[in-house]
Amino acid sequence: MLPAAEFEILVTSFAVASRALIGALPFAIAAAWLLSRPRMPGRILLDGLIHLPVILPPVLVGFLLLVIFGRRGPAGALLERLFGLHLAFTMAGAALATAVMIFPLLVRSIRLAFEAADTRLFEAAAMLRAGPMDRFLTMALPLAGPGILAGAVTAFAAAMGEFGAVITFAANIPGQTQTLPLAIYAVLQEPGGEAEAMRLALISFAVAMCGLIAAEFLQRRARRRQAG
Amino acid sequence: MNALEADIRLRQGGFVLDANFTAPADSVTALFGPSGSGKSTLLAALAGLKKLDSGRIALKGRICADAGLHVPPHRRGFGLVFQEARLFPHLSIRQNIAYAASRAPQSKLALVEVADFFDIAALLDRPVRNLSGGEKSRVALARALVSMPDYLLLDEPFAALDGARRRSFIEVLLAAHRRFKIAMMVVTHSIDDAAVLASHVVAIAQGRLVAQGAFAEVAQAPAFQALLDRRDIGAVLAAGALRGAGTVQPTGYWLRADHVLLAAERPRAISARNILEGRVMAMRDEAEDAVLVTLETQAGPVLARLTSEAVRDLDLALGKPAWALVKAHAV
Repeated sequence: MLPAAEFEILVTSFAVASRALIGALPFAIAAAWLLSRPRMPGRILLDGLIHLPVILPPVLVGFLLLVIFGRRGPAGALLERLFGLHLAFTMAGAALATAVMIFPLLVRSIRLAFEAADTRLFEAAAMLRAGPMDRFLTMALPLAGPGILAGAVTAFAAAMGEFGAVITFAANIPGQTQTLPLAIYAVLQEPGGEAEAMRLALISFAVAMCGLIAAEFLQRRARRRQAG
Repeated sequence: MNALEADIRLRQGGFVLDANFTAPADSVTALFGPSGSGKSTLLAALAGLKKLDSGRIALKGRICADAGLHVPPHRRGFGLVFQEARLFPHLSIRQNIAYAASRAPQSKLALVEVADFFDIAALLDRPVRNLSGGEKSRVALARALVSMPDYLLLDEPFAALDGARRRSFIEVLLAAHRRFKIAMMVVTHSIDDAAVLASHVVAIAQGRLVAQGAFAEVAQAPAFQALLDRRDIGAVLAAGALRGAGTVQPTGYWLRADHVLLAAERPRAISARNILEGRVMAMRDEAEDAVLVTLETQAGPVLARLTSEAVRDLDLALGKPAWALVKAHAV
């Protein structure tokens, strides 16, 4: 059994990662669908914007989030006035920073799933009187479903390990924003924390491996399904 | 009454499609032409999967395309059966057909009845990947019919089938047309399939209309005959005129000139099941010492290809009586 402190870290990590994933998924599906349309105007711009977090240093992403969503940032001030919501230095903020970081990964795998779908089937559906939204919900989504799920699992595993953006925007607060990598960082700051860091690292490693294996399994199922 | 009025102009790369035609509401129209003549592009334009550069399409009086107007495919009322069946791989056979039924404007066809008609009742709960080519084609046809289109387009759905499967699919198609009373246009480059299925024909070559109208009339047009291979030259006969070897009564037969014998006197004691009496209406010299003789019979014109020696021996001449002999298995 895990000691209470480690259990709390693991729970925080899952809570942050699942909030990030659930929040990012609908936007990622929409963005991936737009990017998979060959005639979408402004495709290159959207693609570049989505991939920014891959190129920028994570600390910079965290800093930009502070500028925008901090208490004195434009979006942060608006959220506080309308909903009384604080993002900086909260679990919701950690989830937001994580969501921004995993977004490119999520979009990329979902886009591949959409692009692998046979567009001739969409024509066939149109000839059976299915309109564009109908075709998206009954053809594109279910055909890409296993691929989307696989992408989501990989992104979840990656979300468990986000560091730079989270610590900058949400700080390192036990029980609130202290996820596995942040906890490792914290114990390493103290003398003699190596053993504890190693235990946390092993947990982190195990969680990541489980995610990758699950994703691979789902990918295989997706390919079988696409083959019809 | 015309179900379909189309004036289609569109450019695709270097290929230009330019055809103006009509198709009747109560019959099967063959869209006939050699490979690469633009038949599939024409169907895609009718269905709305391709936009016109200019022209107009009207289905049962409703405008589907006109200057500045492009009604999307799902609102046109056309059904389309593709060359490949395009069944949805994430759904069972039953769900594939139900997908069409649930989007039909008024559901008049019971799924069970249609499944029985197409002999696919036993397949309903199978996944799509476990079907043979012939089964897939029948499911695709059933699915298209269940969606209750105002007009059904078929892009050579039997192209991938051969021999007995092809014949049986064509028989099912013809039976479905009669049973469900649905107007359809069938793409084919086979003159036999066209004659068996269709009473009306639209012929195109290199993107342009060659001929259109009742099959029996179009078949005699020189421009139409020019589309045919020399060995395929012939005439279409209404089904009632001949005794054939098939099981479902076809719309007509394509009778090749090479399959017809001529006699100058009424033949007796002969195995040929079909003897048509007529008069010589035309004689045309062909290459390789052959003569194409057109006989006007009660069933319409019949073409026979003879050697010039045979023409001399029989003493055939314009206006003279002659008898055409056709084996039942030639049709």
